Amino acid sequence: MKNPAIIGKSIPRMDAPAKVTGRALYADDLKMPAMLHGKLLRSPLAHALIKRIDVSKAKALPGVKDVITGADIPQVKYGNWRLVPQSQDELALAVDKVRFVGDEVAAVCAIDADTAQHAIDLIEVEYEELPLILSVEEATAEGAGLVHDESKGNVSLVRKIDYGDLEGMFAKADYIREDTFKVHPVQHAYMEPCSCVAHSEEANRVTLWTSTQTPYIVQCLLASTLGLPENNVRVMKVQVGGGFGGKMELRPWEFCASFMAMRTGRPVKFTLTRADELAFGRRRHPMSIYSKVGFTKDGKLLAKDFQVMLDGGAYNAMGPTATFLCGTFGNMLYNYPAYRYFGRHVYTNKPPASAMRGFGAPQAAFVAETQMNMAAEDLGIDPIDIRIINAMQTGDVIPDVATISSCGFKECLEKVREISGWDEKRKNPKQGKGLGIGCFSFISGGVFNWFNTKYNFSAAEVSVYEDGTAQLATMACDIGQGPDTAMRQILAAELGIPIENIRLIAMDTATTPKADLGSWGSRVTLMNGNAVIDAAKKIKEMLIPVLFEEMDLNQIHDIAFEDGRVFVKANPKKGITFGECVYKALRGRRGEPLTARGFYTPRNKGLVSPAFSFGAQIAEVDVDTGTGLIKVEKMYTAHDCGMPINKMAVEGQLEGAIQMGLGYALMENLIMDDKGRTLNTTFLDYKMPTAEDMPPGESADVFTYEPEGPYGAKEAGEGLAIPTAPAITHAVHEATGYRCMETPITPEKVLRALDKIK
Amino acid sequence: MAMPQFQVHQPKTLESVLDLLGRHRSSVKLLCGGTDLLIKMRAGAQAPEHLVSLNRVAGLKTISYAGGDGLVIGGAARISQVGKNAEVRRLYPGLAHACSVMATVQIRNMGTVAGNLVNAAPSADTAAPLLAYGASVVAVERGGRRQIKLVDFFTGPGLTVLEPGEMVEAIRVPDVSPRSGSCYLRLSARSKVDIAAVSVAGFLNLDLEGRVIRCRLALGSVGPTPLRCPEAEQILEGQTPDEKLIAQAAAACVRASRPIDDLRATAAYRRAMVQVLAQRVLTQSLDMAKGGTP
Amino acid sequence: MAKQNIELIVNGDRYEVAVEPNRMLVDVLREDLGLTGTKIGCAQGDCGACTVIMDGVSISSCLTLAVEAHQRDVTTIEGLATSPQELHPIQAAFVQHGAVQCGYCTPGMVMSAKHLLNENPHPSEEEIRQGLSGNLCRCTGYNKIVEAIGAAADKMASSAKEG
Repeated sequence: MKNPAIIGKSIPRMDAPAKVTGRALYADDLKMPAMLHGKLLRSPLAHALIKRIDVSKAKALPGVKDVITGADIPQVKYGNWRLVPQSQDELALAVDKVRFVGDEVAAVCAIDADTAQHAIDLIEVEYEELPLILSVEEATAEGAGLVHDESKGNVSLVRKIDYGDLEGMFAKADYIREDTFKVHPVQHAYMEPCSCVAHSEEANRVTLWTSTQTPYIVQCLLASTLGLPENNVRVMKVQVGGGFGGKMELRPWEFCASFMAMRTGRPVKFTLTRADELAFGRRRHPMSIYSKVGFTKDGKLLAKDFQVMLDGGAYNAMGPTATFLCGTFGNMLYNYPAYRYFGRHVYTNKPPASAMRGFGAPQAAFVAETQMNMAAEDLGIDPIDIRIINAMQTGDVIPDVATISSCGFKECLEKVREISGWDEKRKNPKQGKGLGIGCFSFISGGVFNWFNTKYNFSAAEVSVYEDGTAQLATMACDIGQGPDTAMRQILAAELGIPIENIRLIAMDTATTPKADLGSWGSRVTLMNGNAVIDAAKKIKEMLIPVLFEEMDLNQIHDIAFEDGRVFVKANPKKGITFGECVYKALRGRRGEPLTARGFYTPRNKGLVSPAFSFGAQIAEVDVDTGTGLIKVEKMYTAHDCGMPINKMAVEGQLEGAIQMGLGYALMENLIMDDKGRTLNTTFLDYKMPTAEDMPPGESADVFTYEPEGPYGAKEAGEGLAIPTAPAITHAVHEATGYRCMETPITPEKVLRALDKIK
Repeated sequence: MAMPQFQVHQPKTLESVLDLLGRHRSSVKLLCGGTDLLIKMRAGAQAPEHLVSLNRVAGLKTISYAGGDGLVIGGAARISQVGKNAEVRRLYPGLAHACSVMATVQIRNMGTVAGNLVNAAPSADTAAPLLAYGASVVAVERGGRRQIKLVDFFTGPGLTVLEPGEMVEAIRVPDVSPRSGSCYLRLSARSKVDIAAVSVAGFLNLDLEGRVIRCRLALGSVGPTPLRCPEAEQILEGQTPDEKLIAQAAAACVRASRPIDDLRATAAYRRAMVQVLAQRVLTQSLDMAKGGTP
Repeated sequence: MAKQNIELIVNGDRYEVAVEPNRMLVDVLREDLGLTGTKIGCAQGDCGACTVIMDGVSISSCLTLAVEAHQRDVTTIEGLATSPQELHPIQAAFVQHGAVQCGYCTPGMVMSAKHLLNENPHPSEEEIRQGLSGNLCRCTGYNKIVEAIGAAADKMASSAKEG
């Protein structure tokens, strides 16, 4: 299918000029008259009862305008799973008990940040320490204490998947392997620490500018926790300095800023520090995983038994979704005749884990891909061949999940084999060098509605004007991944007008149509893209009659919108400019503007996702067997993201994902002591890759046309974050014989495996 | 934690610096790059009431080299300045390397070599090469000057022999004889923005027959201070090094090290790496020394 | 502590401000001067988001006391483009090459690139990577940033020749 020229083009981001000149405004850049500065008091203990809080000294400090504790706020628990109210386990400020080091206990606002901090230091809290639970094993042991009294055994959610004849298939298997894995926590490490400003101009109404991926979710949860109608809360756009899943919930500072702005009548700003982020912020779930897989001797997968305990930390956050998706990702790439998943989301006294790029998939795929490589080796089958034998393809069914409507996985495997020189290099192994493979599949947005929205999942409003311009209003958020540009490309393609002629209003819950679930689950391109197309089609329906009347056309004609003109497809000369067409349409509408709204919610696409991306990646590493240091020399990727809307943006997603995957495999780790305190709270010690650590990359596109996607597009954001760690793990094994079953790979682990450290 | 309050003095001469240090000796710190000090102050680890800035004092940034006398690095010379200096790169490659890879570009533009030493972190990147080059510190106070051998300078993590009121005016590094070789290697899981988990610096000077006249070896991040390795040095001095002897010397370096487990590495890994890095440092230094030019 | 009157020369403009001695340059730039293009990513000198050029070299403005910048020449991201229509070649290359995603590291990256090209107008790819090693980015994987700086260097060299 041929797409309009602007689709797939590498158009520079439209917000880039503002960003390179420093004009782009992020939340902490906002400053308002009479604005107050907020600070949080956090628990120094991982598990304790709050016996007494004395805020009198803080309140008495000159310049302090408000001090609040859990006792002052409406104690409405919140969480993103509104459909399951008992899963909503969080309060903005702790009441009676703290559950992790960093749990928010009180908040202050004052005329400047130093005064607010001073006031925080003056608050006295008396705690009674409780026994700590710092691992899933401790949490689920007999007689363990409870993080939340309501959750017996500290398991907050169980997810089971079970299809096919598991025992029967294992009985048939020629080759069975059982392994246990542990994966470690890492953080989003978005460059912009969280920040927000709240302002209450009218009693009982509040406007919040906040660094978020989910303005609609923040609006709804803020309203419920403040005890206000949703319509009284407005969440507005600022530039967001990265999210990666870490900014998709209501956060305590958003609540405190809003609550104190209403109480004081003055704007209130909160900005976190990097130490706050690293020590207390959301993170990717550490997991303990058991996996048993069975194959025929020819490498055909027969069955998988996949049991996962997610270390959720002190609150559910987005953990339930990760628990659900981890199971779904456990069987997405390959055909498993029988599959059983048992996932448990476990509370511990640690900072809550939540969504992070890949959302349960990096962990599931690390295990699945590693076992695939182990099986290939044991069965004497090439690791790419064994994948081709089992790969999903278009039309395949993931039981109870979906029918895959487009899949270029096998092509990806062939391509990546070719561009990496896989066969040749494996034939001539070199000391300390190795190639490894990892693959992925990911959802293009979820069909699930745990947030229980009453609205469509995505919406867009398009207005067109007689000067040939258009306005696109949508709640969808650009957090750096580029939909502000991609959505305008789609609209420009639909209306046939230059992209520069499209003004965008985004991420304002008061003026953009309801709703949008936010930027997560790789949903925006497909879902919001479809909403934009829907709105554009409706606009075109308003414009087309003008041409029929103007040209006195036979009803069989089709009308095209291209190059700023509206014309008869069969006779392009017959037409008028887009602006003229709008003008004429307006004349007939007696003052009613030309505005249309479009919506998208997946229909008849199962309960997981309307479309799936696929890909394969090969890492080439060089291991210094003296020091154990690993240098990733090159990454080869072939991926199927459908038809890209903006090629450069897709490349950016790929390259950024490699940085994150490489960090996950080799460098990044949140290290905690036995009191539940995070030890590496600076970027000096939380080691994410620098420009010097990044290998060059080579990639091949496998274009499929996804029928459900806008112009055939699928996701490209999260899936790519999955394969890098398993690929590097495999490459290190090929280079040294060390197989990492407990991430991350460290030089020391490599040397121990080589018996160089006893 | 809010930044504590303090007063900043910005004198223009060394005399006024020394006056101020003397006058406020109970609660004063020198400020130059500030890249270590201000972080510690914000964390509440230090709270001096007075900061005396060296940034407006003339003449302290000079780096000079004279054959026979060696290298003099001014107390306010920036790390990046030292790393880019042609003489340093030619004659003191280990120091040049340390000054080109430690911390970040911005920190190297701000921070000073003297500050890196006075901060006295066990991992201080310039300490190990300067120890290997046999450097001394020129300390000055109102009453006068003294020269302190760097090997005697560090007394513990964050601690040196400097007295209150004293400051580092310059670092003196002996000249390098012909047939010398030297090298600095550091290890960390990431290439930059980092603190070395282990580092080793070495210096060798050979006679015409290829025997070692002088050897100095120094280690970073494997003890409470940067360390010299006298036993290893003695193993090599007077000998013609080969692979076996180098391995023995490296083993002596391991014995000199007193590493701990921390979040950057375990003691066991550090010990093993001292062996590996010391061998590599000695091998590279030997190759360079045999090349005839330092 | 008593405020100190200082004179800052930022992007060629003179500002007189009274600041407490413990305030950092980045805070004075952002809060007192309203130059919010300089970002705070870590306030510890690890991430480079606050990079500005002072007296010709790149520094972390989060670790520089404002009083130490008294009468010194500071260039921030706002001082690079001659007008919103005419970006500096480094800025233009960042836009064209897709070197910007969330944009939070961008001002610091651009300033580090500026410092690098001042010192070394024809850097190799490796030298560009070394020059950026004090600036963290979480979105781009750096490759497009490296490309952009290489392209800017070429552009600046060729326009210098023409000029």
